[in-house]
Amino acid sequence: MLWLCIQLPKLPLEALTRAHRAGDTAPVAVSQSNLIIESNPAASALNIEPGLSIATACAYCPGLQLLERDTEREAQLLQQLAQWAYGFTPVVSPRTGNPDSKAQSESPACLFLELGGSLKAQGGLAPLLQQLGKELHKMRITHQMGLGHSPSAAHLLSQLPEHRQWLAQTSTPPTPQQWKQWISFAPSKLLDCSNKAIAKLYACGIKRVSQLLAVPLSEVGNRFGRDFINYLARLNGSRPDPVPGYQPPAEFHSELLFPSPLDNSEQLLFPAGRLVRELCRQLQRRQLYSPALYWVLDYGSRGSEEVNVELSRPLFDPQRLIALTKLQLERVKLKEPVQALALRCKQLRPLETKMLREDFFEEGGSQHESYQLIDKLRARLGHQALSGITLKESYLPEQAWTSADSLSLQSKRHGHQLHPLSAPRPSWLLARPDRIQQREHSLFYDGELQLLQGPERIDGYWWQHHRHARDYYIARGPQGSLYWVFQDLTSEDWFLHGVYS
Amino acid sequence: MNNAENLMQNKQLSEQAAGQPAQPLQQLLTRPDIWQLANRQRQPRTGISTGYRGLDALLASHGWPRGASTELLVDKAGIGEINLILPALAEMTRQNRMVILINPPHIPYAPALAQAGVQLEKLLLLHPRGQRDQLWAAEQALQSGACGALVSWQGKEVLADKDLRRLQLAAREGDCLHFHFRPGSSASSPSPAALRLQLHSDGEQLALQLLKQLNGKSGQRLHLARNPDLTRRDQPLH
Repeated sequence: MLWLCIQLPKLPLEALTRAHRAGDTAPVAVSQSNLIIESNPAASALNIEPGLSIATACAYCPGLQLLERDTEREAQLLQQLAQWAYGFTPVVSPRTGNPDSKAQSESPACLFLELGGSLKAQGGLAPLLQQLGKELHKMRITHQMGLGHSPSAAHLLSQLPEHRQWLAQTSTPPTPQQWKQWISFAPSKLLDCSNKAIAKLYACGIKRVSQLLAVPLSEVGNRFGRDFINYLARLNGSRPDPVPGYQPPAEFHSELLFPSPLDNSEQLLFPAGRLVRELCRQLQRRQLYSPALYWVLDYGSRGSEEVNVELSRPLFDPQRLIALTKLQLERVKLKEPVQALALRCKQLRPLETKMLREDFFEEGGSQHESYQLIDKLRARLGHQALSGITLKESYLPEQAWTSADSLSLQSKRHGHQLHPLSAPRPSWLLARPDRIQQREHSLFYDGELQLLQGPERIDGYWWQHHRHARDYYIARGPQGSLYWVFQDLTSEDWFLHGVYS
Repeated sequence: MNNAENLMQNKQLSEQAAGQPAQPLQQLLTRPDIWQLANRQRQPRTGISTGYRGLDALLASHGWPRGASTELLVDKAGIGEINLILPALAEMTRQNRMVILINPPHIPYAPALAQAGVQLEKLLLLHPRGQRDQLWAAEQALQSGACGALVSWQGKEVLADKDLRRLQLAAREGDCLHFHFRPGSSASSPSPAALRLQLHSDGEQLALQLLKQLNGKSGQRLHLARNPDLTRRDQPLH
């Protein structure tokens, strides 16, 4: 087992300011219950440190931008990072930071990754660590890493500057001896236990973990309790160190906040491309696909607007996804400047090998082209402009068909389950039966109608209040048109219901 | 003479003409919308069978022309105008190709289509709003290569000649059957469609008049009987 702990010490700040421009030099600080808990470099340079009261901080720096801590957004970002990490290894465990403001700087949120199983796939330890660091840097997430044989050890070592320096240069994981050395070398204040326990350790004169390990276990147990003994054993690797496993939700959500609102839908294409690429990377790593993209244009306090791009088959090509998104965005007239753009995929589905096979072995490749066409049409005309039709079992002619989703239609290609009637039916059905004029036992619809055949009695729902009893006939108009007409047996009125076109 | 020979001959001709002021004409002839009698062989000879033997015999391609627009001029609905194209549409869906109807005037009735052998899961209805979107959708579908047949109806606005020409070119590009329904009054105005048929009813039967066909004779008339199941007087009425 090879565990990596990624500490995220500035998460409260970064959850709120990640989308700010890189060169932004305005001092920003995050506060919680009247205390500063985190500050950006510009603010730190003005001595604004965690623990200051808001009043003092404002006295130091009148132009300070104060942001209220948003633990919900933090948790969201941590989930997002866990999802990202899941792309590297299937064993990931996120741990939220201590919500208690005072202890915040001492136990920040972190991610545990088991790397042992995926070293080979990722090209060895050094390239993997570099890739992780590079991507975190790109996402502008401050981080510290530590490597250990158990999550507890990795957590402890990630706080040790000497270890981090070694990690930046190493290409092979250390031997068990080396680990023991690192751990015993660490100051005891880095142990993952309560402040009270650490104060007690110092009171006993135990400043390094090595000193603690020299004390007989029974002694330690007497003073610090069973839990502490367990913790030491997990740290040593003599006891299994389980962490809650993480299963990424089958969804994707990522958001970009714009420092200055965008007022042109064309400007949205660039950030949209960034989000799409983020999505595609994740989908590919997790072998999932998304049947639709939901874009949310955030107008800030003036609400938001949703734009959907539906896909009829798995698609991982960012260029094509952006092209479809572009078709949709072109139709959108921005009501207000957009402050944030979010991409949401509510249900990611596992990619079945069958789908890929269909892609490659489809006769003539026409299936592929028809998916492409449907996606394009849907992107420009909107979802509601496309439909299919299918048969439905019903007594009533107007209910013997139903509108079907064109997407499900294309994937299903085995004949109808229902058998159509043998009586001839008209190719056009009127959306609503049209009243036929009746004069002196003759019927008039654009001229006098002549009944050719009938009646075919359709008597449905006689057990219900809305009984439909009709006698259907085929009638001919004066110009040779054939119509499907019926007489309502309850009201004795005549209606035109279909045209034999 | 096959296409390759034809091409060779053209090449020799153009080599002979090299350096002479015949260039503009050559350029003009490469335009796809200019039809040359001499290049008749380029046109695909076999169309899609209409399902009516008499009509197939009249048509130069022995069926609906592939990759081209066919105009059907109809004034009155209900004379069998959809029945005329239904066999071809059904055949397309059986070949696993998509059939698209753009803004049909009424609901295409599923039981009737299934009776005619249309695979409903291959049928797509489009309801674009406005003429611009309608034209865009038709053009995209025609040239996509995914679509076997596309049926469109002239709305309130009359399509400009250049739009009809674009659709005709798109149909050729995507090798798609394009049926376009227009009112009978447009018979007098010229159209780029490869085939134009005027349809009316003579009371019992559907009467066809061939107004125009590329590579073939026009002016013929044909009467097609309606389905006897519809017109048979088998029941005493009232």
